[in-house]
Amino acid sequence: MSAPPPDRRRQLALLSALGRRFGAFVLTLLGAALLAQVLLWSAPGDAADLLAGDPELRAALVVEMGLDRPPHVAWWAFVTHALGGDLGRSLTYRPGMAVLELVQPAALRSLVLVVGALVVSLLVGTALAYVTAGRRSLGRRLLQAVSIAPVFLMAWVLVVGLNEWAFELMLQDRIVRPSWFALPDQESLLKWALAIGVLAVGSSAVTEVHSACEDELKAIRRSGYVDAARARGARLWPHVLWNLVPPLTTIASSRAAFFVGGLVVVEKVLHLNGVGAMLWQACRLRDVPLALGITFVAAAVVCGARLLADVLRVTVDPRLRTQT
Amino acid sequence: MNLSGAVGLAVMSAVVVAWGVSLVSGYDVVADVNPEHMNLGPASAHWLGTDHLGRDVAWRLVTASEVFVGPGLFACLLALLLGVPAGAWAGWVGGLGAELVRYVFTVIASLPRFVLVLLVCAIYGSSVWTLAAAAAVAYSPAIAEAVYSRIATFRGREFVLAAEAHGVHWARILGWHLLWVNGKTLIARHALQLFAYFLLVETTLSYIGALEAGAGFGVPEPTPSWGNMIAFEWGVRHGNQWATWAPALAIWVVILGALLLADGLAEGDHA
Repeated sequence: MSAPPPDRRRQLALLSALGRRFGAFVLTLLGAALLAQVLLWSAPGDAADLLAGDPELRAALVVEMGLDRPPHVAWWAFVTHALGGDLGRSLTYRPGMAVLELVQPAALRSLVLVVGALVVSLLVGTALAYVTAGRRSLGRRLLQAVSIAPVFLMAWVLVVGLNEWAFELMLQDRIVRPSWFALPDQESLLKWALAIGVLAVGSSAVTEVHSACEDELKAIRRSGYVDAARARGARLWPHVLWNLVPPLTTIASSRAAFFVGGLVVVEKVLHLNGVGAMLWQACRLRDVPLALGITFVAAAVVCGARLLADVLRVTVDPRLRTQT
Repeated sequence: MNLSGAVGLAVMSAVVVAWGVSLVSGYDVVADVNPEHMNLGPASAHWLGTDHLGRDVAWRLVTASEVFVGPGLFACLLALLLGVPAGAWAGWVGGLGAELVRYVFTVIASLPRFVLVLLVCAIYGSSVWTLAAAAAVAYSPAIAEAVYSRIATFRGREFVLAAEAHGVHWARILGWHLLWVNGKTLIARHALQLFAYFLLVETTLSYIGALEAGAGFGVPEPTPSWGNMIAFEWGVRHGNQWATWAPALAIWVVILGALLLADGLAEGDHA
């Protein structure tokens, strides 16, 4: 049998690389669902304890909620239902409502925050790197020192600072009451902007993008093709930007988990009703199906971001296709 | 060790001293309620003043070390027990076994850390020790992956092959030459980062938990935590500013200190 022609071989390599990554994505997601089920199964007591004191009612609830099944059976049921778009029903948060119905609108609100934070950190980080590359800068140290502070602390300082400042000005009759006052209570654009900013800085995305871009820019500025392009009088930034794509996608995908974790805190402190605040509430009320559903969606987002970044990098960089 | 590492070491030493002082002092957080002395500013009797219940802020600041130093150390120990042997074994044997071990940790890492911590607290209760265990499990993939890649890099080096050819037992090569001699700094760095992460999680949960009515997460009043101290003074007008800013500053300084020390250790550690 003769070897396939080079073009075909290249396509095959690309396909198999993509297939491997997709397989890893599916396996990880299945594992995450199993992990959640094992956690539940090993729990002392269950959701039925919280709802029913009467043993007969309790026994009925256990069967109804499927708590008597071993974890692998519950896991398989969860996975097959999830494939059909059914993540179960809420128990205590909104009793009887489908989890997916609850999560969808909240997740859309949170998506605005995550995408906003991602865009902000990419733009700000890259711009900062462009300015500071190859220099020692105090600003960079300062940014790093600030970004290690917990998200809640950052949000708290901003909220308290802005509220106090506005309150003082109002007391002195310098301004009329701003539409966003008091910050956590009123729905306003400023609150969303603050949340996006805190999420971008607090999840260390800005500093990660900044330092990765700085290293990359230093390397790129020294490299031969930049000299060549410069000598021919060509524009530099298309080359530079194209070479920034792989490191930036890696960072963006690795920050996805931190964005999702930060969402819970930012939404709680600023009173934004997204999926993070819903998870907190579901955990407080021991609403296991809802908490599990949100956790599964979070895992899907994290793994999906990784898959997307992998696909993008494999497409951009042919060297990655041959590696396992 | 460089300057920032020394600063980090100083901060961490101060934390340990505060913990020791708190353990032997026997300061009673409930008996200290004293309405006659509420909202005082800093003075020689109360170094950082008092909060709106008249409790001494400086003592509460010191006592709060009890809810994160002990559990934080426990979290570090547990995460090392989970991550180091698994990562080291995977790096040593390689192949399918390594892929399986790494798969398990990838699965844990696919849940965002904070989400996993919340879920565990919802299921197993929200004592500070449960929180520590949850943080340890959530952080263990980072440790396992770091140890794995360190051991896998060193596995094929000449000195390892030479030791094997000399008939040195594999456990000695792995445990002494690789993990201890070439891996201890890496492991200590991750332990410090986990300590900082645990403080972050504990104060976050205590802060948000204290703002809500009813049973929540985190450390509840009257036990002081730097997180619930901030929340407790929220909205107190004309109160003692230090009652909120001192714990806020303390959180930031200790996290910064732990990370600076970790950075200081990184110097001179090459794979």
